[in-house]
Amino acid sequence: MRLPTILLAVTLVATAGLALAASPVRQAILDGYAKEAGVAAFSAERGKAFFEASHAGGKPETPSCTTCHGMDPRMPGRTRAGKAIEPMAVSANPKRFTDSAFVEKWFKRNCDSVLGRPCSAAEKGDLIAYLSSL
Amino acid sequence: MAGAPRAQGSAGEPVRVPVWDGFVRLFHWSLVATLATAAASGFFGDATWVEVHLWSGIAAAALVALRVLWGFLGPTHARFGDFLAGPKAMRAHLRGLLSGGGVRHRGHNPLGGAMVLALLLVVALLAATGTIALGGVLKSGPLAFATSFATGWELRGLHRLLAFLLLGLIALHLAGVLVESRRSRENLVLALVDGRKEARAGDHPPAPRRARPVVAALLGGGLLAVSAAAVWSFAARPGLGVPSAPLDPTYAEECSACHVAYHPSLLPRASWATLMAGLDDHFGENASLDPETAAAIAAYLQANAAEAYDTKAANRLRRVAAERPFSITATPFWRRTHAGLPEALFASRPVGGRGNCEACHGDARSGRFDPTAIHVPEETTP
Ligand code: HEC
Ligand code: HEC
Repeated sequence: MRLPTILLAVTLVATAGLALAASPVRQAILDGYAKEAGVAAFSAERGKAFFEASHAGGKPETPSCTTCHGMDPRMPGRTRAGKAIEPMAVSANPKRFTDSAFVEKWFKRNCDSVLGRPCSAAEKGDLIAYLSSL
Repeated sequence: MAGAPRAQGSAGEPVRVPVWDGFVRLFHWSLVATLATAAASGFFGDATWVEVHLWSGIAAAALVALRVLWGFLGPTHARFGDFLAGPKAMRAHLRGLLSGGGVRHRGHNPLGGAMVLALLLVVALLAATGTIALGGVLKSGPLAFATSFATGWELRGLHRLLAFLLLGLIALHLAGVLVESRRSRENLVLALVDGRKEARAGDHPPAPRRARPVVAALLGGGLLAVSAAAVWSFAARPGLGVPSAPLDPTYAEECSACHVAYHPSLLPRASWATLMAGLDDHFGENASLDPETAAAIAAYLQANAAEAYDTKAANRLRRVAAERPFSITATPFWRRTHAGLPEALFASRPVGGRGNCEACHGDARSGRFDPTAIHVPEETTP
């Protein structure tokens, strides 16, 4: 391969990667949660632990995020009614976390189902950080 | 007729003359085949056999229509005039039978003729009641546009009674053939295969009639073509009380997030109201919506609930289970109709749950649930 071709390829991959990592809407959603939580940065590690944990306090049918989304967020999940859920990982599904009303609707529902309470802004931010890091 | 001398051929063999023409024989055995198929699929088939039942019934009805035509245009023994006896002739025949004598009829004797008429009549009535039941219950066929579920269901009951009546008549018919075969010492079944019977001295003299095959073919073809066209054009009309509008887009979007969007006609108004009032604890999950969206969906569901439609599903699913008032799969009707399906099928990957109607019902979204649209996926490992 000639040099210009390689350069072009590298540029393309880099811009695509940047676009994935930094969708302006997703960044704005994250910034909002950061301001609300009063933190400078979120932790993908804490997000992973939150995602995989079994929580008490919610409805018995749904103890964990993984009940419906599965252990690997890059793979499709499955609702309790048997319908497929598109992957949660941004790398597998770039549409994730790009519509703040949609994001809030599902946090409101699923935090109540799994935890029996609303999620904190820090928990939401950590989770999005984890799902954007895969 | 017992002991009557037989006409002898030159070699001493009895002469077998043509009695049953080709059409009559073809008609008889085709009717046997179509009615056997219709009876088997009707009595023993589940909803997925409806199409077989329909087409065998349509074929039987067409055969009967053509046979009636041939009763006026066919050769000697095919004609109604040859075998439909008045009360006087019938009494004479019965007296002859009881005294152990009586005249031999080369075609149908008066009793046999009455049986032919009864059989044709009952098959025609079966076709008529079947068409009304099809229109009212399954909202399909030429009468779907004008027949209510209630009417269709009543006619379905009558259709069943007629089916039993037909079975009874067929049993009598077979008994009659057996008795007459012994009485006249001839194989009547064979006669309906090769069309010939012995000519015997003392036979009831037939009035020979010439067949009009060309006229019959033209009239028969015309009759079938006109009927088919009429049936087809009436069947194209929208069925009475059948949902025709697509699902409301907001409803379809919001209520298909976790499962298929259930057609609003699948539950009564009261059930939808209870369901919408409890979205924050919806089958063990929070499915809450913002108030405007929830109000819009609730209004849509009220306007299009089971009470607003006349399909079989809307009529039957209106009766919900008291302890689970908005579970479609807990209604007595749903449980009854799906009782024969194995648990493993619902758990399998391609189905994924009882509530996933679309996995098996190709028309679930439209709310029709026509049996001809049922395609159960091949069972696979879960
Ligand atoms: C958050 C996910 C979710 C959303 C959103 C949701 N449902 Fe459900 N729904 C469920 C689950 C889970 C079940 C139970 C399925 C099971 O047991 O197989 C269910 C069951 C049902 C049933 C009973 C089905 C049956 O098996 O008989 C109906 C009816 C129903 N939902 C209607 C609705 C309507 C109407 C909406 C929109 C207002 C809605 N659902 C939105 C999760 C959801
Ligand atoms: C696993 C496949 C499967 C699923 C899932 C399923 N059905 Fe069925 N359904 C069938 C079969 C097969 C029949 C025919 C049963 C029979 O006649 O014995 C049937 C029959 C029916 C009938 C009666 C049709 C008639 O005219 O007699 C209705 C109504 C119906 N289903 C509604 C539903 C609804 C509503 C759902 C979802 C809540 C559903 N079904 C889910 C397979 C399924």
